[in-house]
Amino acid sequence: MADEGKKSSYWIVWVAMVVIGFGTFIYLAASGRPDQAWKAYLINFLIWSAIAQGGMLFSTLMHTVKAKWSGSLSGLSEAFTGFFPVSLILFLFLFLGGAHVFPWSHGHDLHGKEVWLNIPFLFTRDLIALFILYGLGFGYLYYSLQLKKVDTTNGKGIIRTLFRILQGGRQLEPEVIRKRMDLLAILYMLAFALVLSLIGYDLVMALDPHWISTLFGAYTFVKAIYVGLGGLIIFAAVMHLNPKNDFTLPSSQFHDIGKLFFAFCLVWADFFYVQLVVIWYGNIPEETAYVIERVMMVPWKYLAWFVFAVSFVIPFFILLNKKVKTMPAFMMVLAACMIAGIWLEHLLLVGPSLSHSVHTLPLGINDILISLGFLGLMLLALNSFLRQFPELARTEKREVS
Amino acid sequence: MAIDKYIMGLFKSEDQAVAAVHGLKESKWTLHRIHSPIPSHKLSEALKLKTSKVGWFTLCGGIFGFFAGFALAILTAERWDLIVSGKPVRALVPFVIVGFEFTVLFAILGNLVGFLTQTRLPRMQNLEHYDERCSGEHFGVLASCQEDQQEGLHSLFVENGGIVRVFD
Amino acid sequence: MTELTFNRIDDTVLDTLTPARGTYWLTVVLLFMGILVGLSCWLYQIFTGIGVAGMNIPVAWGTYLINFVFWVGIAHSGTLISAILHLFRAGWRNPIARAAETMTVFAVCTAGLFPFIHLGRVWLVYYMLPIPTQRTLWPNFQSPLMFDVVAISTYLTVSSLFWYTGMLPDLAIIRDRAVGRRKKIFTWLSLGWTGTHEQWRHYTRIYLFFAALATPLVISVHSVVSWDFALGVVPGWHTTIFAPYFVAGAIHSGLAMVLTLMIPLRKIFNYEKIITMHVLESVAKTIVLTGMIVGFAYGTEFFIAWYSRNPVEEYIFAWRATGDYAIPFWIMVTCNTIVPLAFLIKKVRTAIPWLFGISIVVNIGMWYERFIIIITSVGRDFLPNAWSLYRPSLVEFGIMLGSFSLFFFLFVLFVKHMPSVSMTEMKETLVEGGGHGH
Repeated sequence: MADEGKKSSYWIVWVAMVVIGFGTFIYLAASGRPDQAWKAYLINFLIWSAIAQGGMLFSTLMHTVKAKWSGSLSGLSEAFTGFFPVSLILFLFLFLGGAHVFPWSHGHDLHGKEVWLNIPFLFTRDLIALFILYGLGFGYLYYSLQLKKVDTTNGKGIIRTLFRILQGGRQLEPEVIRKRMDLLAILYMLAFALVLSLIGYDLVMALDPHWISTLFGAYTFVKAIYVGLGGLIIFAAVMHLNPKNDFTLPSSQFHDIGKLFFAFCLVWADFFYVQLVVIWYGNIPEETAYVIERVMMVPWKYLAWFVFAVSFVIPFFILLNKKVKTMPAFMMVLAACMIAGIWLEHLLLVGPSLSHSVHTLPLGINDILISLGFLGLMLLALNSFLRQFPELARTEKREVS
Repeated sequence: MAIDKYIMGLFKSEDQAVAAVHGLKESKWTLHRIHSPIPSHKLSEALKLKTSKVGWFTLCGGIFGFFAGFALAILTAERWDLIVSGKPVRALVPFVIVGFEFTVLFAILGNLVGFLTQTRLPRMQNLEHYDERCSGEHFGVLASCQEDQQEGLHSLFVENGGIVRVFD
Repeated sequence: MTELTFNRIDDTVLDTLTPARGTYWLTVVLLFMGILVGLSCWLYQIFTGIGVAGMNIPVAWGTYLINFVFWVGIAHSGTLISAILHLFRAGWRNPIARAAETMTVFAVCTAGLFPFIHLGRVWLVYYMLPIPTQRTLWPNFQSPLMFDVVAISTYLTVSSLFWYTGMLPDLAIIRDRAVGRRKKIFTWLSLGWTGTHEQWRHYTRIYLFFAALATPLVISVHSVVSWDFALGVVPGWHTTIFAPYFVAGAIHSGLAMVLTLMIPLRKIFNYEKIITMHVLESVAKTIVLTGMIVGFAYGTEFFIAWYSRNPVEEYIFAWRATGDYAIPFWIMVTCNTIVPLAFLIKKVRTAIPWLFGISIVVNIGMWYERFIIIITSVGRDFLPNAWSLYRPSLVEFGIMLGSFSLFFFLFVLFVKHMPSVSMTEMKETLVEGGGHGH
């Protein structure tokens, strides 16, 4: 995957995946089930964007705390910015499905919330928010590449060319670059918290417009960090295990990121419990209706317990062990299962609002195919990004743990 | 006859102490223990120390605490056996908190028990054959040899840059 | 510039334990007098009744709760620094870990007094213990107040054990350099610790477990304290954000208190080479982060209060910002979120007067935060005919003075008789690749 300028041999497979996904989506929409199609689209948009946004966060976080152990991983994490433009375009397409994805757009009495929950305003503010977040991410990447002394005067690629134009042949002092990276890293993380909270409130919580949970925004961004780390682990493991490139990661770095992953597993579970205990205890019907439907009613309760097991219980007990964290192949499988669990968690949150009173879980082969399409998009984005910037997948020389 | 003589080599640096340890391993003298002011990775590698088993005490404590916490909350609730504030009698959602706190408490107590039993502290007899400089800046390597072999052990320590102290 | 060596570290720290001069004892006596003021107010309250405090219907919780939450909050930073930063292998923690843990233990002790004080009929405190009694009644473990009992006792136990275990190697250092009766005392206190490779093998492992267990404990304890409020249905209290919001706020106030304590300590004890400007700067930068989290929480609460379209919820937030308690509200917002941003400027966060001044301001702000949360929500909740205001009485001020005096009294006594910097951990930072890094 890191051969300069050469496409991966899997390229065709990924394009095929995208085509299948897109095809399934069109098929569903055309055959009178647009609701299902758009629901799958929304869930996938949210989770794949979160993986990219959270994955990128790792680099900005490591830079801000001046961590010394994370060199090679930070490069890989910056590669996730490749998905940002894709995410932005996917969001624009989401606009077309507004009527299907927002139950409140069908003339509910929103008791004055219409000023906030209306399609034009929602789309504008979320688009601007994503734009700002992604812009900051790219800004950080721009300077990070300069710090790595990446020579943008050669090499192909849209973004590489853009950076070449922006740089205009100037070479800044490392100190200046670092200061700008400091600023952009902090701004990215700030924007991450605010933008992901906004996305959480607008695209997930608002689907049940009469329900509120103040922590929902923070819960969304914590979840994004969790899946972002999972994505980074999978990416690092694949790169490390691939004999065709020279990227390697010492086991101590796998151990460290495994520990961070474990920590966020706990944080995510904590943020979930914290909301649950307050709502359960207060026993106020406005709040409990949402939770009851998802945790106590058939068919959603089976999904809820499944998500809890796959994304918390199993990773918790497995990750207590030190050795496991240093086995990239195993961690890859574990992280993939966890991400699948969070995908299902999105279905759990979004599903009951979009599919009222169902008796069986509205999950089928179509959802899997559409998700496959999005996975293909992510892989294509990462691969094309690494082709543009092969320097990001370089093993850092100074490995101090 | 041959009475064992305890001799300690005091080294100012970790590396010197490690070298002395290697030297001792190849010799016929017995290495008893090493005193150091700070824990040292290099020394534990040189001594090929295994991971401590205290963790098992911690784990057992934690498991006990988990069940004890829930048991306390559930059994006391069942004694009252009436619905309070509309919550069920065996309310698992809030009892998770009690269970969690007890898990941590008993895990820590297990940790403590493990530490005290494994290190056999408090133990004032440790202060025998101990040099007070070992808590300051010196690494003290304690070895013993037969009385007539003192010279050899003495020079081994001095070669590696240490001060020697003989215990009588 | 003289480099730090093992001996220099030992000398600098052990120097602080030499017999004190007059100003020290004067401080101790003054603080003790403050404690006596608090104690006499409390005794007056026990004999006269809890009515001497300013609480009344509907504001049944006043400064006793505010101070309780305040002191538990302060305690959290100590564990953050000694436990969480140990897991992250952040080197800047080592010079201040000991003093921070000490701050934790004494803050929890101080906080633990307030449930007793607030009880009124203190002699009935055994009702809270789950022991079989002739009344055949047990505490209700579904109540957040019982969660508090369990959590705070656990926190006190764990922090004290962590603190003491961390001190063992240092107590051995003192023993080795002491003579006579002092040597005997420290021989017992250090449990015969001699730093053998076997002892270190077990020690580094249990220390890791202490840190790994103390971390979720810290998060859970202040979450439990926040649930004293959030589990009720009172507007402004019943919100899911309380647990992480309170934990972030606790760390915010605790870090500020660390600065307030470390800066004079550093000057008086000549710790400048040990508690370097880099350490203080790192604390200041973390305060910026926690301040932003607290600000985020304020913003989110206001947004959701509007979004909920719940008139009671909307009212309480509007009243907080514009009503009778508007001044404390804006003090809270300014001191907690705006003032700490000054630390973004390097000149400010490397200047001692600014560091000290802003740390005091943040603590004032955090005290006012608890004031606003507790008093305003209960003062005007669902029934307008029950609305009322609250003002603390002199007895409450006396007890508050007593609590602050108690905390500083314990801390001041500690630093002169026990090592306020961990000599062992400082030595570990000097040795590259050594120590209990894993």
